[in-house]
Amino acid sequence: MDDDDVREVVEQELTVAFRAEYGGEPLRIQSEAYGYPTGDSLKMLLFQYYMSDLAIRDGSGREEYVINEIDLLRWNSANDDGTIERTYKVLLPEGEYGDLSFGLGVKPTLNAIDPNNFPADYVLNENEFWGAQTRYVFAKIEANALLEEDGRFDTGLTYHMGSDSLYTRISLQQPFTVRDGANSRITVVVDVLDALSKNGETLDITDPAKQAVHGGNQAVANGVWKRLSESFRLEVD
Amino acid sequence: MLRTAHIAGLLLLLLTLGCREDPTGTDPIDEGTITGPSNPTPYVLEVPEYFPSPVVDPENPMSEEGVDLGRHLFYDASIFSTEGNMSCATCHKQELAFTDGFGRAIGVRGEPGPRSAMSLVNLAFNPNAFNWDGSEQKLWQQAIHPVENMLELDNDWQEVIRKLRNHEDYPARFRAAFGIDKVEEIDQELTVKALAQFERTIISADSKFDRVVYQNTEFFTEEEQLGADSLFFVENVPAGVLHPGCGHCHNAPQFGDNKFHNNGITDVETIYDFVDKGRGDITSNPFDNGKFRTPTLRNIALTAPYMHDGRFETLEEVIDEYAAGGHGVENEDPNITGFPISERQKRALIAFLHTFTDESLLENPEYTAPRE
Repeated sequence: MDDDDVREVVEQELTVAFRAEYGGEPLRIQSEAYGYPTGDSLKMLLFQYYMSDLAIRDGSGREEYVINEIDLLRWNSANDDGTIERTYKVLLPEGEYGDLSFGLGVKPTLNAIDPNNFPADYVLNENEFWGAQTRYVFAKIEANALLEEDGRFDTGLTYHMGSDSLYTRISLQQPFTVRDGANSRITVVVDVLDALSKNGETLDITDPAKQAVHGGNQAVANGVWKRLSESFRLEVD
Repeated sequence: MLRTAHIAGLLLLLLTLGCREDPTGTDPIDEGTITGPSNPTPYVLEVPEYFPSPVVDPENPMSEEGVDLGRHLFYDASIFSTEGNMSCATCHKQELAFTDGFGRAIGVRGEPGPRSAMSLVNLAFNPNAFNWDGSEQKLWQQAIHPVENMLELDNDWQEVIRKLRNHEDYPARFRAAFGIDKVEEIDQELTVKALAQFERTIISADSKFDRVVYQNTEFFTEEEQLGADSLFFVENVPAGVLHPGCGHCHNAPQFGDNKFHNNGITDVETIYDFVDKGRGDITSNPFDNGKFRTPTLRNIALTAPYMHDGRFETLEEVIDEYAAGGHGVENEDPNITGFPISERQKRALIAFLHTFTDESLLENPEYTAPRE
């Protein structure tokens, strides 16, 4: 091995910003009335997703560094900013990196564990599970929609998704640099509107059969999940 | 099988208190000096294995003596109320799962406050602030306000502390719990921390539900099982059937998510029209108006009347309200959808809710008023 290839692994500070958007703008919970492709409008009340094994891969593609095992990103308050930041201290060599990846959802090994095995204030004990003892809701999208001309946002939309079969590994390619002593910052962006309407596929929120997913109704869940997972992109400051 | 928890808490307690020493007895003791034991014994909070390990508060490590002091304070009407007729236990009665049976808690002046007294069970597992509106981040901070509130104990802390410092018994108990040397060190913070230590020990985990689901020693009746399956734990909701099940917000084992929701029980024209703004008063955000904590349903059959203001006398009324599906206010939780329910299903659901009653809690001698 060439000595030049050996890079010193030191503790680095890496900030990953997670930005949620609706239609390309930072997501505002409740305070914004958003248009929808069916001509209706809606106000978002909740958007959240679990993320497993957040990792970055060096520019050569040979080395992967896991920087966080499990996290829950949640936007549920009108006081929330569209961007949630996490700063990680991780052992990394400085240099060029080309890929950030994570599992959308709770990875199967954790998804099989009884939540009560975790402390009451742990991220896997947020009451985000289907049953009392196992299996997590990986992502939630909740909104109230205005479907009639009465000015009332009174039709609930609730899409709760999560199962081992939905768990999806997402890889975002974009070169970025980690330098010793500098807080490096990258941004993971996802657009909630994409999850509902993307590439010519629009979920018909006026159809009562498509206004909720809670375990059943997996045809709707699969579509929302696929579009959601395809929406993520990486921005480098 | 019990899970022992709080290893981190024990270490903190030892680190916090280990450097204090007993008086040697050789130095002159001035008037404010407290004598007696001053080495608190770390308290091991035992929880069933089907519960998560409790939230650890590094600012208030538990000790045997701290819990005991908190228990005495909890029941001591002579300390907290000006008339000597009211203590924490007045609104948090053990036989009612530490509620008071009133729609809105009745204060020392006989007048109702704005909200009902919440049950105190399983507070050690709550990671998301306290009170109906989440106004206090720490359990021990929660105990400060009721002492001063004119619709609760209507006292002032200076008077409470004066009584504690001059008491024949409490200074030694404070020393035993917190290792203090002088009566002047008895203050508001130590007082509420002791109360919180006792409250953290109040664990409800032996209901019929627990015995059926976790302990595997009993079975549900057919009616109870119907209640569980038809409306409470609805894991696989068919297309077009909107109701996600009570368990959506009231999932086991705590039966409350401790999050803040507008659960659709108040009919107002706009979010600005709530009389009690709940969470909105804490966040100063109008979109949080009308939101309140999801409380635990443990012992729900004992904690009537229901909701933050006790507006519903019976569980039947509560179910009817949820079945009606809210009022279409824009910040209502969209999981409040309304649902059809037959009289048989309603009876079954109520029967199931009764399985959350923990009879052992109601007479547990560790929670009763101390005898000495």
